Amino acid sequence: MAELEYSSAEDAALVRAAQKGDMDAFEELVARHRDKIYARAFSMMRNEDEATDLSQEAWVKGWQRLAQFQGDSSFATWITRIVINLCLDELRKQKRHRTESIEEMDEETGGVERQMPVVTTNPTERLERGELRQRIDRALDQMSHEHRTVLVLHEFEEMEYKEIAKTMGCSIGTVMSRLFYARRKLAALLADLKSQ
Amino acid sequence: MSDEQQLKLQAFLDGELPEGDAREVAAWLARDADAAGLLGELKNTRNALKNFEPALKLPESREFYWSKIKREIERTAPVATPARSVSLFTLLRRILVPVGAVAALAIAGFITVHSFSGGQHPIAVNSLLADAGAFTYRDQAQGMTVVWLSYPAENKFAEKSSADTLPAK
Repeated sequence: MAELEYSSAEDAALVRAAQKGDMDAFEELVARHRDKIYARAFSMMRNEDEATDLSQEAWVKGWQRLAQFQGDSSFATWITRIVINLCLDELRKQKRHRTESIEEMDEETGGVERQMPVVTTNPTERLERGELRQRIDRALDQMSHEHRTVLVLHEFEEMEYKEIAKTMGCSIGTVMSRLFYARRKLAALLADLKSQ
Repeated sequence: MSDEQQLKLQAFLDGELPEGDAREVAAWLARDADAAGLLGELKNTRNALKNFEPALKLPESREFYWSKIKREIERTAPVATPARSVSLFTLLRRILVPVGAVAALAIAGFITVHSFSGGQHPIAVNSLLADAGAFTYRDQAQGMTVVWLSYPAENKFAEKSSADTLPAK
């Protein structure tokens, strides 16, 4: 049997090898997708250490559950779902240990975004690429984790409402509502309409 | 604009409305500038996010990051395998020890009963008071014990004893 050339092999071949216990093949998968998995954890947690720990935990779980991977989605999508679920579990744990602030409760129901005037300028036209990226980053920092998560799952992971609702354990109506107010708040933050 | 209308507008943007509803919203947008303005804002925000996801790099080297993952995989894997064989052995031991003990007791009981009963027949046990002409019969099946005393005595010791105690005629 020909030996697998890890660096040039496709994900599917590496997954098959890893499923048979080849840890070197799994390491190659980690090396290929580690930045994406870390980025996803960071976009949800907004903390480097937590994001690193949770991304590593996702890889360990990925190895342990590798037999369950049937190839219905890409390996990258599959491992991303694992890290998203771990982040959601962690956020729920953290939420149980803290009292919701008035601002957070206000955000859940829409808050000031309900009455906010429509932002007519397009941030992608008005701002430099680097500046826009920084602003998006800062804006995500200022959101409650529920609003941030819904944005991340919808815009970055391109999930549909139904799938987000299932992942977050809430109704489709709640997803729609959170997404709407998260978008409006983000528009305001990008346009400097809301104090930062 | 009501909350419901706002969410409908957003669902229209995200392609989550059924065809009939989508047509209705398109017609509404054509005649309502506020609705069109809000849709424009939602669209701009969506595009800003879609194209500008912060590009992040893991702040650890490949080797260091992998070494921690590998250590955790190895730490959890060997524990699981022997645990299964140990638990199987323990399980067998837990079952076999009491079963063996019960079996040993049953065998001992069976042997004891047989040695005393001799099967279905009663056993006759000579009494230690043989010199008094007494015999004992024990029937295990009936749970009955019979003591037979011969009178007058049928042996020389008893005869002597009787002669000593009974008055001469």
